[in-house]
Amino acid sequence: MATKNVELVMAPREPHYVGNGFRVHNFIPSGYHLDMQRMNPFIMLDYNSKFYFPPTHEPRGVEAHPHKGFETVTIAYKGKVAHTDSSGGGGVIAEGDVQWMTAASGILHKEFHEENWSRQGGDFQMVQLWVNLPAKDKKANPKYQSIQNKQINRYHLNDNGGEIEVIAGEYQGIKGAASTFTPISLLNVKLESGATADFHFPEKNNTALLVIEGSIIINDKEEAPADHFALFENKGEVVSIKAKEKSVVLILSGEPINESIAAHGPFVMNTRAELVEAFDDYNKGKFGYLE
Amino acid sequence: MNTFTLSTFLTSHIEIEADFVETLMAQCKSLKVDKGSYLLKPGEICQHSFYVEQGLLRYYSIDEKGKEHILQFASEGWFVSDRESVYFHQPSHYFIQALENSRIILFNEDFITGLAQENKSFLEFNNKLLHNHIRHLQNRINQLLSASAEDRYLHFIKIYPDLLLRIPQSMVASYLGITPESLSRVRKDLATKNFKK
Repeated sequence: MATKNVELVMAPREPHYVGNGFRVHNFIPSGYHLDMQRMNPFIMLDYNSKFYFPPTHEPRGVEAHPHKGFETVTIAYKGKVAHTDSSGGGGVIAEGDVQWMTAASGILHKEFHEENWSRQGGDFQMVQLWVNLPAKDKKANPKYQSIQNKQINRYHLNDNGGEIEVIAGEYQGIKGAASTFTPISLLNVKLESGATADFHFPEKNNTALLVIEGSIIINDKEEAPADHFALFENKGEVVSIKAKEKSVVLILSGEPINESIAAHGPFVMNTRAELVEAFDDYNKGKFGYLE
Repeated sequence: MNTFTLSTFLTSHIEIEADFVETLMAQCKSLKVDKGSYLLKPGEICQHSFYVEQGLLRYYSIDEKGKEHILQFASEGWFVSDRESVYFHQPSHYFIQALENSRIILFNEDFITGLAQENKSFLEFNNKLLHNHIRHLQNRINQLLSASAEDRYLHFIKIYPDLLLRIPQSMVASYLGITPESLSRVRKDLATKNFKK
């Protein structure tokens, strides 16, 4: 099978703050060639590269805000996030955990560094990915999949080369922990120095990776160091990754949703009229209320 | 493409040659301002009116007790101007401040008179804009004198549908002339009425 070549490797852009708790580099949709249609169904990716937050008694984070029309996927590599929503739900996303939140018809929530973690301070490193929903599912009821690290199935590489956590999709017969509305693979690849792993993704999928730790060589050619994002061409199906040093890589691949996208702030709908309705619903308290 | 450029605004509302718009735009100054910076402060004589191509401005005063009163927000596609200062050359009583990193077009009185002389349909259109502005001010006076906090809020979200997500609640309250506590109460009451779990 043909190799899926790298289209571009991108360095992290200048970070900006989301609230006062998330210092993120945006890749999707502001990165060169990484707009929503190109990366579809992945419509946003913010990456909080490893950053030290000093101890504080007032947890940092983002105040109440809505989401509608898509799913947010939070992958915690370091640090802990506590979240609360307008229907009374809540929980903590700890190191290694994944929260897959289906905002769909609309949710109002807030996300802060967990209180005890904040008092200690420490390194914080997370990815927040937004996955679009097809029109027919944008009105589904909101739900959470709180996936603890121990619930994520793993594929172990030969010769203690490392492991692949299958968050969504499938790898070598190992099924992902999260259920998705459209075909998506989300893999956390943890490789020991010198180890290699191969991956197969259909040509119709949009495929990319983010190097969380270490440094890798892709397809025996391109080098991607920590905090860099690599986009793959659609052509070709096979990707090989070799770790130059002990590395962690997040791979995302998904089948595009062939529908129009109307996005503004935290709402991602199909038409402008639906966006206007989303703002009106939020303003009139239809997503609930949260202090 | 940004659909809120001043040239797009003009060409979509009046009959005007694209070339002529370009000549006009060359006379205007485009300014990138950082969040928090000021375009006008009290005591200054304001030389320009402002059109927001990208970002958000607020137009406000501070009273003797140090309390802020917001008269107007201007997001993409809005104009804001201290007319007393620009057209009557009086020192301003107001602040105009960027609440986000913004791209602003500055234009002066000559720009308006020049445009009006060259283009009849602009004069008509500008009159309509002025009437619309006065209508907005009349509504605002009436709201402040007679409307309940909830009615004021419902009117606010109609005019500024996306601002609630861009500015702190305290600024919304300041614009509405109510306390942040009553704004919270209004929003809570609406949510209790409208939220379906």
